[in-house]
Amino acid sequence: MVELTLPKNSKITEGKTWPRTSHATHVTEFKVYRWNPDDGQNPRVDTYNVDRADCGPMVLDALIWIKNNVDPTLTFRRSCREGVCGSCAMNIDGTNTLACTKAIDDNKAPVKIYPLPHQPVVKDLVPDLKNFYAQYSSIEPWLHTTTATPEKEWKQSHEDRAKLDGMYECILCACCSTSCPSYWWNSDRYLGPAALLQANRWVQDSRDEATGERLDNLEDPFRLYRCHTIMNCSKACPKGLNPAKEIATLKKALVDRQL
Amino acid sequence: MAANGKSNGKLNDLAGPSLGGKAYPIEDHHYDVIVVGAGGSGLRAVVGCSEAGLRTACITKVFPTRSHTVAAQGGIAAALGNMGEDDWRWHMYDTVKGADWLGDQDSIEYLCRNAPQDVYELEHWGMPFSRREEDGKIYQRPFGGMTTHYGKGTAQRTCAAADRTGHAMLHTMYGQALKHNAEFYIEYFAIDLIMDDTGRARGVVALNMDDGTIHRFTGNMVILATGGYGRAYFSCTSAHICTGDGGGMVLRAGLPLQDMEFVQFHPTGIYPAGCLITEGSRGEGGYLTNSEGERFMERYAPSAKDLASRDVVSRAMTLEIREGRGVGKDKDHLFLHLDHLDPKVLHERLPGISDTARIFAGVDITREPIPVLPTVHYNMGGIATNYHGEAVTKKDGNPDSVIPGLMALGEAGCVSVHGANRLGSNSLIDLVVFGRAAAMRCAEILTPGEKQPPLPADSAEKALARLDKFRNASGSTPTAELRLSMQRVMQSNCAVFRTGDVLDEGHKLIHDVYDNMPNVKVTDRSLIWNSDLIETLELDNLIAQAVVTMDSAKNRTESRGGHAREDYPERDDVNWMKHTLAWMDDKGKVDIDYRPVHTNTLTNEVSYIEPKARVY
Amino acid sequence: MSGKHTNEMRTPMRRVRGLGAAHTGTGHFWHQRVTSVAGIPLTIAFVAIIVALLGRSHAAVVQILGSPIVAIIMLLFIINTVYHMWIGMQEIVLDYVHEDKLKLVTLMANTFFCFAIGLASVFAILKLSFGV
Repeated sequence: MVELTLPKNSKITEGKTWPRTSHATHVTEFKVYRWNPDDGQNPRVDTYNVDRADCGPMVLDALIWIKNNVDPTLTFRRSCREGVCGSCAMNIDGTNTLACTKAIDDNKAPVKIYPLPHQPVVKDLVPDLKNFYAQYSSIEPWLHTTTATPEKEWKQSHEDRAKLDGMYECILCACCSTSCPSYWWNSDRYLGPAALLQANRWVQDSRDEATGERLDNLEDPFRLYRCHTIMNCSKACPKGLNPAKEIATLKKALVDRQL
Repeated sequence: MAANGKSNGKLNDLAGPSLGGKAYPIEDHHYDVIVVGAGGSGLRAVVGCSEAGLRTACITKVFPTRSHTVAAQGGIAAALGNMGEDDWRWHMYDTVKGADWLGDQDSIEYLCRNAPQDVYELEHWGMPFSRREEDGKIYQRPFGGMTTHYGKGTAQRTCAAADRTGHAMLHTMYGQALKHNAEFYIEYFAIDLIMDDTGRARGVVALNMDDGTIHRFTGNMVILATGGYGRAYFSCTSAHICTGDGGGMVLRAGLPLQDMEFVQFHPTGIYPAGCLITEGSRGEGGYLTNSEGERFMERYAPSAKDLASRDVVSRAMTLEIREGRGVGKDKDHLFLHLDHLDPKVLHERLPGISDTARIFAGVDITREPIPVLPTVHYNMGGIATNYHGEAVTKKDGNPDSVIPGLMALGEAGCVSVHGANRLGSNSLIDLVVFGRAAAMRCAEILTPGEKQPPLPADSAEKALARLDKFRNASGSTPTAELRLSMQRVMQSNCAVFRTGDVLDEGHKLIHDVYDNMPNVKVTDRSLIWNSDLIETLELDNLIAQAVVTMDSAKNRTESRGGHAREDYPERDDVNWMKHTLAWMDDKGKVDIDYRPVHTNTLTNEVSYIEPKARVY
Repeated sequence: MSGKHTNEMRTPMRRVRGLGAAHTGTGHFWHQRVTSVAGIPLTIAFVAIIVALLGRSHAAVVQILGSPIVAIIMLLFIINTVYHMWIGMQEIVLDYVHEDKLKLVTLMANTFFCFAIGLASVFAILKLSFGV
């Protein structure tokens, strides 16, 4: 059954409140989930006071400020800091989003930061996304063709190319999948919104010649049909994509080929 | 994320030297090829080597699609001729001129000649290029410095997937690597190269961040595709991960880096966040203005205007600001206008920067200009290589002496196609063309499953000593503080314009920072995802390259491409038509020597392009 | 079939591919939509019939429910609703019940229950119609 109670070692305890820097006048309080695999302790929530005069506008800036100025042990992924790499996905103020494009002032203080929900935690804000990545691989994200490859490019009409808009932009940050209750309960068998959106990206690609096989691989009560159009995915997507719509398109394609 | 448990590694409990009272157990992996880095060039090499039947491991400190290639926006240059006549020779001319004649012309010929087929290959792999409405071919846009008929017309040569070309390309290549069942070691941080007594690169030692275990990868070829070191500067368009780890490893191995004084400032980084606004925005018709509303680029580059090459535009912008015509409260930036363009065009071709400008500058680009500033963007310098990707050094008088077992690609390398200044959209094509070239070279000179000679007994000792030193570093200056002082020195003393005095001061200041490295303080002592430790190892790589950059800049007394000396404003082909090679010892002392620029071409289809005045 | 991340030694890909795609599900998905659409007029008719029955004598109720048009509407309503319920409950079980044995038992119980309810209701209407 669905686990409704937390295992004992995952109960979150009250953490440390780090002293504020003395000269700071404009301060925002951050409550950040901490868990260290080495110390055998339960997870805790630490409190930090970020000096806003010394810190950029985004939540990622605040985390980096904390790491640089207060607590170098705070651990999180980050790379591009402009919303294209998908590294710094986390749960901020109850919503999965990218720390680098989420303004601090768009949150209620204290700003609560947790790792992406319902994934194993490696350390602090770093979730283990191996399953998520394997699901992405399983939809075979490359062009399948059998017709002899042309000397130059495959032609694609402007309209056919436009069908990929809203899908190819996906940055695999996992915000959508880890916001989906169906994914929480069935992430071992349900592919989740990100992988399904990517699947549809290839189903819709006018150059791809394996549409049927792709649909065959998705036609499963779990892989695809655990989606109940809850729409958390579309609400969460920090890139403004609409995975729920893409999943609906897949379901429609599966019906279409029977009728 | 070890590759599906397929490693042939076994745990050698006693292999690790006892360091700091603790032994680090080492897991061994043997491959034909070890690729470090999973950006565009690393992935292209991985795919190529896998296709050739070579057992290939790709070690990367971030999941492949998080590599910095993902942030490339504008496009990938190739003379396809989809938008009008084009010729790879014109592309070559533009690249040579863009490079201010410091590029090796054999490599540039190789790049431009092979560019079209490599773009078609990406398309065949499924890359979602933007399309022409007329005939469904790949859409190409104008870009800075790209011309037709050897400088006479404006070329539309840059193939684009809206303004997310790097993203589209990286995801496509990762898909292709998955198709070939490439073996990835994800979130493994390469600590150091393994070199043997004969000077051959034998592999790398890496830390698996996920569980804190140490891994020794050995192969007959090590390909460094580790990217640039933009984070040596305070303000850059580069990702946080751009710490030039390959360059650091090479310097520690006693090998030189080439042309490190050439750092490209991108004209349009958002002020003050530093995020990139693609040059494609000017390609689509955008232009820069100063506080008087003047399109000042018309004065500096009468024919190319806003599409002059990046070093030219960045210098013009810096002069405008310096002369008091900057905008904003402190008159310290300028405006990029896109508000005159059709919102439909913006939506279709520049959707990504519309978001970026809104999020980071609070600007609606259909109505307001974007505040921009020249921002550190690309390192032309790096590990010297030939056009096969093989690392070279100057040894016993031979300036093209191949370092056995070592290759370098992309921003980490310096094939020298970009010379003193890279043209926009030439970096993505550099990644795939030379990524493929390296794989082809590996296929040619390596035999799958070839036996590897025994490793030196102390093969991992240096790397582990380095790891252990920083892991237990208990000095007085936290990593972040040291990093900030390095970044500030580089930002103020090695910027768009340089003078002897400023560089002399920079030399002193950056060496002070370097000398302070033993004093670094690491707080986190764990091994699992110890990002404090990783950032310190990265800082160690950065500072070495910062020192080399400063000293190379101080040494070159001429102005060429991205290296603009106010005290030596002219290009000096008599004395300086040569690549800088810089070695650094463990005391931070930099030794400089030179390699000649290759003036030969590969075929008779094109002849050497003679230097002349560089006017846009 | 188990929902647990059972064995750490298995690769993530092995877990994701699992037993492969079942190549079913579209039928249920489609039938769920069809029965939803059919359910709209049928439910309105059903409510109207029930309202019409309120306050009437037993004999009148028997007569109305036994009349051909009402009986056919009632039969359609029952079959449609029970089928919709059967699929819906199965979805819920697949969502939340992960333990193999319990899942099989629950799925069977769902089928038996729906079949029994449906058959009993149909029998009742038919009995009224044919007055056996």
